[in-house]
Amino acid sequence: MSDTAILTQALTKNYGRVQALRGVDLEVNQGEIFGFLGPNGAGKTTTIRCMLDLIRPNSGTLRLLGLNPQSDPVTVRAKVGYLPGELAFEGNVTVEGTLRYLASLRGNTMDWNFVRQLAERLELDLKPQFKNLSKGNKQKVGVVQALMHRPELLLLDEPTSGLDPLIQQEVLKLIREARTAGATVFFSSHILNEVEEMAERVAIIRKGVVVETAEVNSLMRRSVRRAHIHFEQAVEVNGLKNIQGVTILSRAATSINLQIEGGMDALIKSLAKYPVRDFETERPSLEEIFMAYYEEK
Amino acid sequence: MLTEFRNTLRRSRGAIIGWGLSLGALGYFMMGFYDTLVEQRSSLEQLLANYPPEFMAFFGSTEDMFSPAGYLSVEFFALMPVVLGIFAVTAGSSLITGDEEGGILDLVMSYPVNRSSLFFGRLLGFAVTLAAILGITWLAFIGGVAASEGMDIPPVELMRPFINLYAVIFLFGTASVLLSMLMPSRSIAAMLAGMLMVASYFIQSLSTINDDLKRIADFLPLKYYQSGYALEGLNGDWLVGLFGFGLLFAVLAWALFLRRDIRVSGEGNWRLPFRLSFGKK
Repeated sequence: MSDTAILTQALTKNYGRVQALRGVDLEVNQGEIFGFLGPNGAGKTTTIRCMLDLIRPNSGTLRLLGLNPQSDPVTVRAKVGYLPGELAFEGNVTVEGTLRYLASLRGNTMDWNFVRQLAERLELDLKPQFKNLSKGNKQKVGVVQALMHRPELLLLDEPTSGLDPLIQQEVLKLIREARTAGATVFFSSHILNEVEEMAERVAIIRKGVVVETAEVNSLMRRSVRRAHIHFEQAVEVNGLKNIQGVTILSRAATSINLQIEGGMDALIKSLAKYPVRDFETERPSLEEIFMAYYEEK
Repeated sequence: MLTEFRNTLRRSRGAIIGWGLSLGALGYFMMGFYDTLVEQRSSLEQLLANYPPEFMAFFGSTEDMFSPAGYLSVEFFALMPVVLGIFAVTAGSSLITGDEEGGILDLVMSYPVNRSSLFFGRLLGFAVTLAAILGITWLAFIGGVAASEGMDIPPVELMRPFINLYAVIFLFGTASVLLSMLMPSRSIAAMLAGMLMVASYFIQSLSTINDDLKRIADFLPLKYYQSGYALEGLNGDWLVGLFGFGLLFAVLAWALFLRRDIRVSGEGNWRLPFRLSFGKK
């Protein structure tokens, strides 16, 4: 069995003259939680929908769990749990009816006690009709149906969208539990704190191209950070200007604000000759890194 | 396939009951008027003779409307392809694209269901829905015939025009499914299928009094619809032709569905190659 859960190479998809995907390359390992970042229209949903053979790419290679979704869509989908960006279903059917119908599409092979357990943990009432559900409750139905058959691969499009903070945490817990049980999780999100908290690796997609794939930690390490240094007395800090990767953003008589790209070692060594009273560094959030990709590239 | 078939039937139960009971009630009470009609034959013949032929063309042949077959034609079966056709084209256009436009298909197709099973499960559900509507109507007709003194039609013979009607509305339904695979939206497909159906009805009806229209009518399905006269015997070739084209449209729609990008929120729609603008620039 392949160690790669998701592989896309040079994946393209056009809608008429609009190029939704312009060569997406992704490699997601089995058992990892992988975040997929990008603003609306960047190609996140299109990529996920290609993976499920809901839409057909114009070119490129696509493999899920070692299988080609175009030639073997039923086997792929049997192993996958999918949460669409916006869940829709027939309005007159109850939540339980909806889940039972969806379960029947999987041959009724899942443990219904587990389904009830999931619903209880998400405080989802199974009795109301789908049309009477709030956006948050519809999202809960989506999460339950994606997890109920204990899939090998979870494709989640904005999994916590519309949920209150407590339920958001419960959903993230369920996702972690699925991963612990061996599932691979591929999720797109706008909530960057959530991605930072959940994902081991992320890919950033921009205008149909993946512009960065990296471990969250390394992405943050590699990125620009800021330092605020306070001195015991007024000092001349011209020496700091010559350190590679260091830019002086502002200075006052007894303090200085710097921007540092790369390692801090040279800066710290240079600071040894100054009477430093306080040294603060500010790690950028994933959101700032994400925004930087959109502003610079 | 079985799940989709059952689900389609479950969703159609309101239509089956509503259409079946309405048409059945209409048929049942219509039978009651047959005896009265026969009693007043001479005055009615005089009245009908005064109507313009363009008007009478829409009721089929009225020359023998005092026979059971003629009466059923004029009073019921002549109009039914359009009346029940409205249901068929609406349901046909929604069969796949209704759920697609509602975002439901996006979820359903992410499950381990192959496209052929989904398509044929739904198509079978649609075909059985039409049969159930006509079945209920047929049962009501049997009741109406039993209550009538002048009508003496065995149930099996009475089934013939229903089979004929079924073939025509199935054809309209599958044409609508096919159009829904070709057009940018479900509503455009339903509108176009409805327009073709009504145009076909007009041309076929008027072709009885206009020779130019006869040549066009040869290419229209209603030319091969026997209406109430199917009571006297079904034309096997015509029936096979109607079912054959119905199935052909279904197969073409299936082939298109296999290659189709499932849409969400208008994604992947084709557009007209020009911009329609009214008033404002």
